[in-house]
Amino acid sequence: MARLLSNTILKGISRASQSPRIVPASFNHVKLRFSTTIPNDPDSHADFQPNNKAVNESGSCSGINIKELVDKDVKEHPIVIYMKGYPDLPQCGFSALAVRVLKQYNVPITARNILEYPDLRTGVKAYSNWPTFPQIFIKGEFIGGSDIIMNMHQTGELKEKLQDIAGKEESE
Amino acid sequence: MGSRGVANMILSRASRMKAKLQSSLEASLLEIEDVSHQHAGHAAMKGNTAGETHFNVKIVSPKFDGLNLVKRHRLVYDALSEELQSGLHALSIVAKTPQEEGAAAKK
Repeated sequence: MARLLSNTILKGISRASQSPRIVPASFNHVKLRFSTTIPNDPDSHADFQPNNKAVNESGSCSGINIKELVDKDVKEHPIVIYMKGYPDLPQCGFSALAVRVLKQYNVPITARNILEYPDLRTGVKAYSNWPTFPQIFIKGEFIGGSDIIMNMHQTGELKEKLQDIAGKEESE
Repeated sequence: MGSRGVANMILSRASRMKAKLQSSLEASLLEIEDVSHQHAGHAAMKGNTAGETHFNVKIVSPKFDGLNLVKRHRLVYDALSEELQSGLHALSIVAKTPQEEGAAAKK
């Protein structure tokens, strides 16, 4: 079962990597790990591997530091979506919907899988004071969840907001 | 827990939500639909057997007047904070003012 799950995730990653507009990794080191190496032990699911590196690099695991990390994250990338699963392998209908909407705009999307990082999940919730996922940030501004992004898509507000981002490549 | 216990919980969550939204937002229209079954298999729900985790909520309230969607949704989440802490997992929210609802009805 663990092997199956692990393989599924790896497949999801490699598929996501083929799409140049999507940054699939939850954090950079994860992208590196998954896209260039195969874990030695295929039975060791990602969930059981040390997964707090990004948090630990910035100091401790305290809520404040995770909040700072989120703050940095949403300000460094034009569009960040904290979601369940990966853009090409969403694990929740609402996350899938939000990704589908954003993908229509030809914009660089930075996606973080909060299922893989319980600390990140807590940190993002605390940062935005919003209880559910997905959560979308555009140019550092909290936008909301799938209902809101869908609504903004329908009203044309999203197009306006993304105008100056569309067509740009994510620098990562 | 027997099946009757589960059924009671489903009833109580939806009705609690209704009461809380009604009183805090003075809703003129309030529809709550339990769509937990649509999400029963998804990854985040693994191990959660309580049901009643996902709801569609449509709410019309004069308190939404002049507020953007984020603020409207926050009002709904605030009213339901206890439920969100006790297993309510996700909401799909349609939040309108009476004027907006009236305009939509005429279309």
